[in-house]
Amino acid sequence: MAKRVFTSQGLTFGATAAGSVATTAQYMALKGGASTQLIDVLEAMVSGMATASTVAAINLARVSTLESSATALAAPHSDGGEFPNITALSSTVVPFTAATTQPTPSNTVTDAKLSLALNLFGGIVRWNAAPTQQWQIIGNTAPGGESILWNSSTGGGSSGLANAHIIYEPY
Amino acid sequence: MPFSKKSHDGELFVDHRASPGIPDEKARRMGYAPGQLREGGIFECATLGCPHCGSVVVLNPLRARERAHCYQCNRYLCDWCDAARHEPDYVHRTMREIADMISSGKWTMSGTMSRPILTPTGGKDG
Repeated sequence: MAKRVFTSQGLTFGATAAGSVATTAQYMALKGGASTQLIDVLEAMVSGMATASTVAAINLARVSTLESSATALAAPHSDGGEFPNITALSSTVVPFTAATTQPTPSNTVTDAKLSLALNLFGGIVRWNAAPTQQWQIIGNTAPGGESILWNSSTGGGSSGLANAHIIYEPY
Repeated sequence: MPFSKKSHDGELFVDHRASPGIPDEKARRMGYAPGQLREGGIFECATLGCPHCGSVVVLNPLRARERAHCYQCNRYLCDWCDAARHEPDYVHRTMREIADMISSGKWTMSGTMSRPILTPTGGKDG
């Protein structure tokens, strides 16, 4: 299909525990738009904006309990196609930073977490997948239907300000 | 064209050139080796996707143990999927095959990504 960029600006990545509900407006999450949708996550980048040393244990992780009623993304955050004349999909992916009930980052041992730890005081972390090596989201139910970019207090992270983006390709 | 397994490598890039970095004790807790994320430094390493569970693994450049390889996929396997494939009731399925099954609408998935439980949705062909 076509690649899209989900960007957050000035988001405070609040540190919460794996297996506990995340804090509203302090994470970035992507959910499939239909039970049959496949999403390839191709890149994640976090650029720290903290004004003092803040170690953040940012993780890209699977969600064990999905959110309910995701809040529509609002400025300054954004989600759009890399190609300006992009064709809308019949099933629209759900990028969000808030919901009525927030998602729960998985604490299951066999669910993957991609560690993107950094110091948010001037630190930058970028992960980029090679072709065929992407992080994948399938459907819109647990365990594979939603992934979250979040700050893990379980991993020793402290809350801090950052800008971030996720590049993904839905099918 | 010659094939190189390194062509599958993704990249993790952590830049602390303008940052105090991460203290060694915290770096260890976050899965890095001490010293990899210190002030003023750059840490780069390869990542690989696991074809069975669709996750991505940051390859520890200091790892001495062997890494798993699936000879059916001819691809790297993550440690969790390597453990799962040695279980007696294991059925080899790639993430792409599981995606195709779910996309058909005839199957739903539960369990974990390394040990997926695929349940027919109850259709005639399910």
